[in-house]
Amino acid sequence: MQHLRDAWEAMQDRLFFLPPLPDQVDPLILFALLVVAGLLVGQLLYRHFGLSRIVGYVLAGAIAGPGALGWLNTETLALAKPVADTALGLLLLETGRHLDLRWLRANRGLLPAALTESSLAFAGIFLFSYTIVGLSAGWSAATAAITMASAPAVVLLTTEENHAQGQVSQRTLLLTALNCAFSFVVFSCVLGVLHAEQTEDIFNALIHPFWVLGGSVLIGLGGARIALGIARVQQESPVLRVFVLVATALLAIGTARMLAVPVFLSLFMMGVALSLLDKDRLLSYTNLPDGHWILAIVLFVVTGAMLPLQDLSWSSGLLALGLLLVRGAAKFAGVLWAGQRDLPMAKRRLVGLGIQPLSATAIFMAAEIVGIYPEVGSQALLLPLLAAALMEFIGPQLCRHALQKAGETVPEPTRSAP
Amino acid sequence: MKPTYQLPFTASRALTLGVELELQLVSPRDFDLTRAATDLLASLHHDGRHGDVKLEITESMIEINTQPRQDITAITQDLEGLRALLVDQCQKNNISICGGGTHPFHRWPERRICPGERFAFLHDRYGYLSKQFTVFGQHIHIGVTSGDDAIWLTHALNAYVPYFIALSASSPFQDGTDTHFDSARLTAVSAFPLSGQAPGTLNSWADFEKHLELLQACGVAHGIKDLYWDVRPKPEYGTVEIRVCDTPLHIDRAAELAAFAQSLASYLLRERPVISPELQGLVARYNKFQACRYGLHAELADPIAHQTQPLAHTLIVLLDTLRPDAQALGCRAQLEHLREVCTQGGDAHWLRHYLHTHPSLPELTRAATERFAQKSAYLHTKPPATPSHTSR
Repeated sequence: MQHLRDAWEAMQDRLFFLPPLPDQVDPLILFALLVVAGLLVGQLLYRHFGLSRIVGYVLAGAIAGPGALGWLNTETLALAKPVADTALGLLLLETGRHLDLRWLRANRGLLPAALTESSLAFAGIFLFSYTIVGLSAGWSAATAAITMASAPAVVLLTTEENHAQGQVSQRTLLLTALNCAFSFVVFSCVLGVLHAEQTEDIFNALIHPFWVLGGSVLIGLGGARIALGIARVQQESPVLRVFVLVATALLAIGTARMLAVPVFLSLFMMGVALSLLDKDRLLSYTNLPDGHWILAIVLFVVTGAMLPLQDLSWSSGLLALGLLLVRGAAKFAGVLWAGQRDLPMAKRRLVGLGIQPLSATAIFMAAEIVGIYPEVGSQALLLPLLAAALMEFIGPQLCRHALQKAGETVPEPTRSAP
Repeated sequence: MKPTYQLPFTASRALTLGVELELQLVSPRDFDLTRAATDLLASLHHDGRHGDVKLEITESMIEINTQPRQDITAITQDLEGLRALLVDQCQKNNISICGGGTHPFHRWPERRICPGERFAFLHDRYGYLSKQFTVFGQHIHIGVTSGDDAIWLTHALNAYVPYFIALSASSPFQDGTDTHFDSARLTAVSAFPLSGQAPGTLNSWADFEKHLELLQACGVAHGIKDLYWDVRPKPEYGTVEIRVCDTPLHIDRAAELAAFAQSLASYLLRERPVISPELQGLVARYNKFQACRYGLHAELADPIAHQTQPLAHTLIVLLDTLRPDAQALGCRAQLEHLREVCTQGGDAHWLRHYLHTHPSLPELTRAATERFAQKSAYLHTKPPATPSHTSR
């Protein structure tokens, strides 16, 4: 190494444009290597063990992250945060676009099913956190708000990865979009409860939920209107419409970041707004480019690196497992018993299984709160983060199993990998 | 010599009608074909009074069959009942449904074969052709009183195949491209080894039994279902089945085509004109190509008059000839409507016109789903007016 340094410095004497020999690898290089590693591990697990690729991406991030080998430190993760925000934002935009109100109107059993499974999940997790874990009411509510929703990124990508089509796939996607919507509203309200509990600052406790929710709605609506406005004058080119969609999504992501409004919530709102406002179907048939898979890999690698695996102990692990069991049972029961009488019981069970994933959205929601209360938040929200960590590895498998069991995926030999 | 192989023909009342429609199941999100048939069928609850709903070869297709009926009004009621049932259940399952002979932009390798012994056999035997067979047709059954009549009518109707193709053509787009055909569907059918027309040498039901026996002995066909003829007898129903029509965009057109078939059969069975199956056979493929390619603007070869004739002109003459039969059968309005189609264009024309004004294939398919969702004008209002490019 010393020889290299000497040689470099000798060259610097002759070549004035040379920078000093870098002391460490640029984080972008490290990150690029990690994305490739994630891709390779994902492919390996997929080909040889039949596991979802998502598990491989998360595993690569977790191994390289601060909790294990430490190749990715906090600074590197901070550098990747805008990319991960963009990835999650785009996936939530898609989730929002899946919220089809016409379907809800045509099939009156769907909304009761979503309401029941979300409410049962919130109530179950709140009671578990309050009575068994011993968290305060505010932190219990935060834990419940964060973990009551399914993982839209996992469900969406698992459906795409397996080319799944059918009632189980469609209803899993719809219930995920609905429980995300409920979870985001509850999350906004819980922010106020936490402020009241932590600071007794009633003014902020009242205003912050409105800032978060109202801000997301306005950014989402604004993004959708701008996208539709540009698409209206660019109707003839499908490629340009993809650019319009991506560019306005980036605009919304940037605005949300600037105004401290959650990116995932703003982009979800933009997706819902696009679904509702696009009466002339200007962007209805425009899909994200296939490149969003690369962003998804970044998202899951970052998510893996953000998992607090260093804090995992027998006791905390058991509590996280307990939370997942309560949550899983509540969601399963809600889907089985409420609404959807038109779907055979066997398929309802599979939908109950398909909506189990818990992932990036929960981790990013927790990060929002930890950002406000760094001293107490990271410890108080350890439980949902550990639950998300465990579910990162189980969730994609459960979702894939449900879709496969329903016979809605395409057998491997007849499809190409995305 | 009497054949050793016996295929009983179940006689039915002359000129009874039955209609089968193969329909497209599409996703309301992107209007591409979607795999939904098994789920849809499992969720359907109906008493069968209007007929049956069945799986077809791939998961993106569903077939409706009316009950056998004596008149076109009853057929229209059945089609309307089945249409309403399917549209309602599809909405509950977040599926859209439409007519049309081909889906304009689906990718055939993505299709999945439906569960069932017959479908597995077809997939095994025909390989990729079975998935490419995700095309959508209308079959019309006409009752006859004997097997011999069935064979005669099969030959007689063969000469009119181009008219059925031109009137029903609704598949100008395939693989995301304008094929420049009005009916691109039939090329998918032509790939099957036993497609085409009944051999002109068959003069009676006994001849047909001998023919089928030969095919079975040689291992060419297992049964009558393997004969993908344009017109073929259906002994278990006691009918002759016309199989060349594209599924129209709306059930009223399907009813009009059935009315045309019934009136034509009535005329043929009553008049018993001299037919020349072998002579017609010489130009059958050419005339079929003309009708598929040019639709109502086709020029048909006439092997008897040794000349070509414009299809639209001879069709109008034929429809005028069939007026008394249509009047007697109670389907004059349907034939009058087809007469107007001859001059103003049919579904293929409508599809091209719509795409010209709304240049998006998903949007075109969405418009087709809206069109299929409309109630029958024959049952709910006065008889329909001339179709325009934007209505019905």
